[in-house]
Amino acid sequence: MNPAVRYGAIGFGVLALGAGVFFAPAYLNAYLMYLLTWIAIYAIAGTGLTVLMGWTGQIALAHAGLFGVGAYATAYLAGHGWPWPLAALTSSTASAGLGALVGLPAARLRGFYLAIATLAFGELLHQAFVQLTPLSRGPQGMAVVPIQLDGIDTPSLVWYLAMVILAAVMVTLTALGRSRIGRCLKAVRDIEPATGSLGISAMRYKLLAFAISAFLAGLAGAVFGQLITFLTPDLFDLPLLVIFLVQLFVGGVNRLSGALIGAIFVIAVRELLQSHVVSSLVPALVGSGQTLAFGLTLILVVRYLPSGLASLPARLRSRRPRPATLSPME
Amino acid sequence: MPPADVRLTVEDLVVGFGGNTVLQGVSFSVARGFTGLIGPNGAGKTTLLNAISGYVSPTRGRVLLGDRPLTSLRPHRIARRGLGRTFQTPRLVPELTVWENVMLGLDGHIGWDRKRSHVVSLVRVEELLRQLDLNDWRDHPAASLPFSSQKVVEVARALAADPLVVLLDEPAAGLGPAEVERLIEPLKRRVEERGLAVLIVEHDIELVTRLCSRIVVLDFGQLIADGAPAQVLRLPHVVNAYLGAGVAAVG
Repeated sequence: MNPAVRYGAIGFGVLALGAGVFFAPAYLNAYLMYLLTWIAIYAIAGTGLTVLMGWTGQIALAHAGLFGVGAYATAYLAGHGWPWPLAALTSSTASAGLGALVGLPAARLRGFYLAIATLAFGELLHQAFVQLTPLSRGPQGMAVVPIQLDGIDTPSLVWYLAMVILAAVMVTLTALGRSRIGRCLKAVRDIEPATGSLGISAMRYKLLAFAISAFLAGLAGAVFGQLITFLTPDLFDLPLLVIFLVQLFVGGVNRLSGALIGAIFVIAVRELLQSHVVSSLVPALVGSGQTLAFGLTLILVVRYLPSGLASLPARLRSRRPRPATLSPME
Repeated sequence: MPPADVRLTVEDLVVGFGGNTVLQGVSFSVARGFTGLIGPNGAGKTTLLNAISGYVSPTRGRVLLGDRPLTSLRPHRIARRGLGRTFQTPRLVPELTVWENVMLGLDGHIGWDRKRSHVVSLVRVEELLRQLDLNDWRDHPAASLPFSSQKVVEVARALAADPLVVLLDEPAAGLGPAEVERLIEPLKRRVEERGLAVLIVEHDIELVTRLCSRIVVLDFGQLIADGAPAQVLRLPHVVNAYLGAGVAAVG
């Protein structure tokens, strides 16, 4: 395609998307906007997992806890008079620090052992949300001070916030993936034993990936607090981790677009399972049955579509019959 | 102080795993140009490369790059001091293109060596792709390359950071004669141009004698010969340990 046409099409697409995002609150109902905001938040958190698990090949199961750190710390700081952007940035940075701490065992642990270590850290964070009542109010829950801007209602503001952050994260990570850092992360994933001979410290890049991933989880958690408005520890427990993993693997673990596709999938499936028709037909799928359904989905996807939905176009293209060519004999 | 053209010095290197001593007090040096390292399977050649490049910790002895000791440094720090290497099986990142894989050879050095600016890196990668005839493959993912081209890409990556010394672990293994030529001729030119020192492990004795001005021979972890190919390949104990009477004639 002619570059001018290509860039023109991209520019037009970006403008159309921007207009869609801007005008969506005016044309869509409040519940649909609520779901779309939720998708954007999960997509932000999911991109962190793409960096860590997809690009760097590390197993990390503390993501739900780190998401909770962003939500709780931002709510706490904003509740004590901090401006929301500063509170969110500080909380995300704290989450990144904790993420790097989770990553320290990655120097020596791999596979199953790393999974257990990070899962335990996630559970530790969950217990902290329950036990540290002066900070989190424990099981009683913590109300979130809503952000406000003159002329915009809070739900629309949270939608714009989530979409601006998602766009910034997507652009930044796309550039990162193509940069020196992106190449080094992928080298750690695919040829870790050889990275030393290239002057690459695998440990340094693993820690960086853990920190980036945790920062994005924290940032997504900060916006999530604004969406949900009331935080309780059970929001950041094992079922959320299962949802993140389903999102990652259904969407596609190696692609940033997979984080968004996976987020759409998990929210759509959750809504479907909660719908009146499904819940009346299969009552077991209400409540904890959802986690079971997501778990089964995860198993099926890992078995039959390991590269996720984001890989489907490329797979379909490769299966499309090619035009017949004549051999010299013909 | 080693002589000026000596780039790498191995002194009394001992490596053991559990109760097994794999390298037994190996000493030799590598000067500019090609030095061959030969020996039967299991002689300890790859272990020696691993010990030099920091992948294995020696129990005794030391390795010097120029006059700077490398022993006890981690592999990435040794690489940043100017030691490049390849592996028996090419270790490329499958989803990255050829250009990106070669660039990876510089990525770990940028930021540590202030002389390596991004522009210099780009120029050097372009130069290597041209010299090693990889331009046609530059935008293809490494996974789509034939084995022989993967080996060439790995050599290009090892050369990208302009190391003082390069360790090549069986670069010609699995390649046909034409593919060997495609790899070796530009490699020779590069080594001459840049004044590199190369330690090459190779079973193709004809290639070793053609390239190397010196050969060291390992057998059961011991250095059993060190000298010019014509002399070393005629030594009876080298012939007995590795070559066999027929191949000795090549030397």
